[in-house]
Amino acid sequence: SSSSGHSRMSAGGNLFTRGLRYLASKEFRSYLCSTHFWDPVANWGLPLAALADVKKNPEMISGKMTTALFFYSMAFMRFAWRVQPRNMLLFACHFTNDTAQLVQLCRFTDYWYVKDEAQRQQLRRQYEDAAGEAAAEVAVAEPKK
Amino acid sequence: MSAVYRAAIKVADRFVPAKLQPLWNHEAGPKTIFFWAPTFKWALVIAGIADLRRPAERLSLTQSTALAATGLIWSRYSMVIIPKNWNLFSVNIFVAATGLYQLARIVNYRRELEARNKK
Repeated sequence: SSSSGHSRMSAGGNLFTRGLRYLASKEFRSYLCSTHFWDPVANWGLPLAALADVKKNPEMISGKMTTALFFYSMAFMRFAWRVQPRNMLLFACHFTNDTAQLVQLCRFTDYWYVKDEAQRQQLRRQYEDAAGEAAAEVAVAEPKK
Repeated sequence: MSAVYRAAIKVADRFVPAKLQPLWNHEAGPKTIFFWAPTFKWALVIAGIADLRRPAERLSLTQSTALAATGLIWSRYSMVIIPKNWNLFSVNIFVAATGLYQLARIVNYRRELEARNKK
């Protein structure tokens, strides 16, 4: 067993140590400082915003913007795949965005075209009550000046 | 599907005038995704302008912030990459502008609402 341990070390170590060594390497650090990293990081704001909006009132969804974002992310998924060098972080960002926008599109369609007016009124009241409760909690938490 | 596309492109290739051939066959030209993806981003600008008519209480704060931020950052980076991509730059300037305008509307509306509630 000691001889097998010795040969493993000369092969560069196990996956974990190799991974850590890559993270400390010069190429990874120059990648982190490059535009290939920061552009996609900036773009992650869009899917994260969409995921945050999934819990909110469906009346906040803009049908036009959501459809546009859906096709935009499809185009940029291919862009990220075909660009040199291939940018998987950007691809993942737009893949997530497409999923989130599709969810929002389904909520939008369901709210305006499947539900009837009575169900919409009920949901509106639910969201208003929830907003009212949240505001009341904030008022209680802050000491009155 | 791709057979139909390739046949259509073969036909179109014959109609492109000689002067426009270098543009038509460019590696970031209209036959590639590097052209259409930034071009398609203009749809976000158009949707944003259409959304200007929405009442401020129906706007999403997080989405406007995300659009403004991504527009601003990509505007800078499209000037830093090689080669400079003016198409990408201009579209992101507009995305940032509409995002910031919507953001201002939302902030204004919420401030007014707070002021009204305090009275």
